[in-house]
Amino acid sequence: MTSHFFLLGSPLTQERLSWIEESLKFFFVKLNPENLLHNSKPKDTIFSFFLTGDALYSLQNPQTLPVWEIILSMPSVEIICDCNELELRGISIERLKMKIPDQVIDRNSLALNGQPSFWKDVMKLARQHEQPVPSTVGYLQMESPYMHQSAHAALLFLAAGVEAHASVDLYAYLDGVHLGHIGQNPSECENIGKGLEEVNERAQKKGLSCQMIACGRCAAARGYSTWDDGHGVVISTCSIKPFKIRNLKEIINQFERNHIILAKDSASIQFKKDGQSSSSSPNENGKKSPITILVTRRPYGTEKAFGAISFAVACAYEGIQTRVIFIEDGVYALMGEHKLEKGTHFFNLQEVVDAVAGSENLQFFAFQPSLNRRGITKNRKLNAVLDIGSHELGQLLFYPPNGVTANHQRVFFF
Amino acid sequence: MTGDSAEIPDFSNLTCTNLMIRLKILIKKAGPDAFVECIVRRDQRDTIDVPFSHSGYDVKIRKMDSNRYRVSLKKKVQGQKP
Repeated sequence: MTSHFFLLGSPLTQERLSWIEESLKFFFVKLNPENLLHNSKPKDTIFSFFLTGDALYSLQNPQTLPVWEIILSMPSVEIICDCNELELRGISIERLKMKIPDQVIDRNSLALNGQPSFWKDVMKLARQHEQPVPSTVGYLQMESPYMHQSAHAALLFLAAGVEAHASVDLYAYLDGVHLGHIGQNPSECENIGKGLEEVNERAQKKGLSCQMIACGRCAAARGYSTWDDGHGVVISTCSIKPFKIRNLKEIINQFERNHIILAKDSASIQFKKDGQSSSSSPNENGKKSPITILVTRRPYGTEKAFGAISFAVACAYEGIQTRVIFIEDGVYALMGEHKLEKGTHFFNLQEVVDAVAGSENLQFFAFQPSLNRRGITKNRKLNAVLDIGSHELGQLLFYPPNGVTANHQRVFFF
Repeated sequence: MTGDSAEIPDFSNLTCTNLMIRLKILIKKAGPDAFVECIVRRDQRDTIDVPFSHSGYDVKIRKMDSNRYRVSLKKKVQGQKP
């Protein structure tokens, strides 16, 4: 049975793939050295990488291909490609398949309509994580439809969930709230709004739950007006019927449950059940799956970095152990001293990090190799942000935080 | 940050998460002995009251009208009795 899996849809840089490679080395050398012995190869896959969209180019790119070859030389690692997306892009993976034939899969299972479905394969793995089979799978969507293919991927994920008799949740955050806009009428693409309504209908017919919750702050900022109907129910005429615009807290409340939640770039890391790292006695909060948020974008060009921290603060506030790691271009948030014009209705990200860093259930880390690669250093005043290297990153990914008894950790790339 | 209510920032339009972030920034800037005050809605009052009281802050809340509350926060000095 697969222990850990990554779902990757954004372009995969050599930098990203390299730190993933280092983390896997940490896993095998420090945590599972027995798997490295030739006579004790594990029977089951330990790491599965599901690649779709632009992440597939990394299988052909001369900068990333050698890193994949190293990753695939580790025991029981496999790549499952989205075959439709491979064909669409004309990407050839023959070189990799010739070298490592059994670990690169470019055929997907057939869906009920007889067509190959990458998302059916994702669903198979997402649902085998818990026994008995979990009843719900969730998807966190942060990009808008039509501009970004990820919205279509979100729709396919939810549809595959319903086809597999799972209840499905969609959590719309940042630009993801646009998925639920009423009156979408694309001429050249699949209508995402209509698709979501159909998924909701199919779920209802099967007696499954289908929740679509959009963050109220993100929706309000983008012009989705809401009002209370007088009975405490928030309604909006801007959104399709299944879409509910709610306080971020209501999304986080869903994260307190233990189901698999994926996103365009995300991972699910299984914890060992021997309780090796949990020294404190478990409490109710310890049963909640911890979250690691990777801030990979520059601080001010988009809402991603602030959205990541805001999301992390909300998770921690609800008792979820939350780690925020500034990595790749995300480390620019820690460089120099940020100054904001007085009276500006905006946040200075360093000030935010500094202010919330001592909060319960919330920790901040700076990935030193990303700083070094960019020739920058962390602002010394940000002493609550701990420096980490590849070894510590591996620890954060594969060891549960103290007191956590949940069986897996959710990792999201912002 | 004390004074009459005209000088007190009105945070009633902020979401709970951003309110929390704003208050923590203000508390940090205000230093150990100063109070931070703001005006919030009823549901925001609940967001502030329990979590801040439980994590080492003196919290004082005064009702101004049906959906407006004046909140004062101060970091407790270690060893100080509530």
